[in-house]
Amino acid sequence: MTINTLAKGSWHREQMSCFRKMEKVIVAMQDPDMGIKMRNQRLLITVIPHAMTGHDIIAWLIKTYSICEEEALHLSGLLVRYGYIYPLKEPRSLVLRPDESPYRFQTPYFWTSNRWPASELDYAIYLAKKNIRKQGELMEYEKTRYSLLNKRINHTWDFVVMQAREQLRASKQRRKADRIVLECQEQAYWLINRPPPGVHSVLDMGLERPNNSAGVTLIETSRKALGRNRVKSSICLESFVKYSEQYQNHDPIMQGSLPSNPWISDDTTYWTMNSEMVTIPTRLRVERWSFSFMELLNDDMGRREFMTYLEKEFSAENLCFWQACEDIKHGESSRVIEKVEMIYKNFLAPGAARWVNIDSKTMDKTLEGIRNPHRFVMDDAQMHIYFLMKKDSYPRYLKSDLYKNMLAKAIVPQETKKSVFPFVRRQRHASPSPAQAVTQATEEDGHAKGGGQAGTNSAAAH
Amino acid sequence: MPLVNNKVGDDCTVGPEKALVDGKAQVDSLIKVVACHRHLASCVGGCTDSLQLRDELRRTREKALTLAGSICHHLTSHLRNKSLPEGQRKEMELLWVAFSSSLELLHVDLCKVFNISDIFSLANTVALVQTGLQGGGSEVAARALSLPDLNLAPNPTLPAGLESQERSTMEQEISHMDHMIEDMEMKVNVMRWMVEPHGPHGPQGAEALSSSDSASLAMFSVDEEQPGPPPPCQRSRISVLLLLVAVVLVAATLSVCIIFFT
Repeated sequence: MTINTLAKGSWHREQMSCFRKMEKVIVAMQDPDMGIKMRNQRLLITVIPHAMTGHDIIAWLIKTYSICEEEALHLSGLLVRYGYIYPLKEPRSLVLRPDESPYRFQTPYFWTSNRWPASELDYAIYLAKKNIRKQGELMEYEKTRYSLLNKRINHTWDFVVMQAREQLRASKQRRKADRIVLECQEQAYWLINRPPPGVHSVLDMGLERPNNSAGVTLIETSRKALGRNRVKSSICLESFVKYSEQYQNHDPIMQGSLPSNPWISDDTTYWTMNSEMVTIPTRLRVERWSFSFMELLNDDMGRREFMTYLEKEFSAENLCFWQACEDIKHGESSRVIEKVEMIYKNFLAPGAARWVNIDSKTMDKTLEGIRNPHRFVMDDAQMHIYFLMKKDSYPRYLKSDLYKNMLAKAIVPQETKKSVFPFVRRQRHASPSPAQAVTQATEEDGHAKGGGQAGTNSAAAH
Repeated sequence: MPLVNNKVGDDCTVGPEKALVDGKAQVDSLIKVVACHRHLASCVGGCTDSLQLRDELRRTREKALTLAGSICHHLTSHLRNKSLPEGQRKEMELLWVAFSSSLELLHVDLCKVFNISDIFSLANTVALVQTGLQGGGSEVAARALSLPDLNLAPNPTLPAGLESQERSTMEQEISHMDHMIEDMEMKVNVMRWMVEPHGPHGPQGAEALSSSDSASLAMFSVDEEQPGPPPPCQRSRISVLLLLVAVVLVAATLSVCIIFFT
């Protein structure tokens, strides 16, 4: 559409090899001694030379290349379908009939080429010419394409119409026979390059070749599937059951939330007690820190506690490094590079203020990656430090006094009691907390058992 | 109108309307030359290919390139002039779009001719494709060069170095065109899709030039598919007319006979 499509690429693109071979065959046919016998085509008044019958073409192919008739038929069919020879009697049916039907060679300018594919502009000019020449001459599909092109390249439509007129005036300078030939050539060219709907376009190479790639893709998908990690479902279920057991007491639905579920009672104490900046955390929260290292790190308060502990142990730079890497991974794109530089300066450079201890292989890889910094360049180092902390500092933290004191200090909030006056708006329980139901049930059981015994005792006494 | 920019050149001093008219005339002429060049290019490699055709092609090509160069300079200088009024700018952009489309066509034709003359050398005239054309393109070339007719006397024998020389000239011209196209895109920023043509739009707008050309393909009349109801009606109309004429003639002769014998 624009000039830019005619970039240098098309100048250097190679002509497809099948086209070059067909061109050689065509050139060989031109030889006056060894070539094809030419006849004259007789129209009503005019005589146009250089026509050949399908039968002659087949005979020549058989003779020149010593092939059988079937192959000659196939080859000549290809020549017609790719537009090197066009039929004169039925221009829209691009087949080679091995009888007396006449054919003619296409001029080299209109030979099929992948270096200079037919452009929309050319097609628009051709359709405009056809339209100007005779009003009703466009076929239905040509009319739709013409109006589509008019919409698509409307900005250059003046040019299209003017160029069409000029080309028609130029062709008027020639004699009638030549004009007929030129029109047939152009028509044949466009039947190949813009085939009518429903006709297979020979220039359409398709998405992929089905025979080869089906096997290839199958091999690829199988290989990928083999490489995937697999876990036995029994092991998976075991770990799931363990997880559920561990977290059962911490689940608000299963265990209820103390002091009360804010969604039900409109009392936001639960949230305020579990917020970040609270001085005394809840017991459940502190217990969760001992479940996994990630739980500890995800909780801001836990992270601060851990940092305090590490500062005592003089290994706080690990956690700082880990935090900085997280910041890169989840932070702004524009600042990634400067953040990486800062990390290098603070943590990785030899003699840095807070130098982290990474093994040499990872260090080399990271330093290499810092040359082209991106979001995930610190991943390996971060992983190394994470596992270092998890294996080393974290278990010691859990055994440390700091943690134990925190656990002792942690409070268990009281369940808010139902008010004596039943219609006070403040404590509207839709249903009692399941925690309370469990304790009540155990109490009732105790009472019932005691009552039963007392009853039997008294019955026995009587 | 004050001189805006020294680099823009002398064209600024000319009135903008005249510049527009000049530009339009030049672009029209380029379109004509490109059409003729394409017509001549379609004969290359065929049986009418000859030294004369190549010569005509060369002359048309040179004319096209000189025209293109001058239009490029003219339009670039005017479109870079920031004080151009809005209406004038729109017209200039229209010319620009037409110019770049003609350059596109010309570029493709040049590349194709270069490629074909690679395959078909005039030294071996027996290998030329027998396309069925008989006449030469001298009238077309004359039309392109705006001359009444071309008087050429090409030398009958082919000088040895001429073809390779011509090939190198063509290569240079093609690369020159490439540079011109690139320069154009760099210097002037015209948004093509915003340009609105003011010709007739759509398939209904173009009127039929003349019916003499339509007779050429109608003579063929081997289109098995009917493009629409008109053709069979025309054929039947002609046959009905002939029948009527025959009947009238018969009636006239009969009446003459009756008058004579009574």
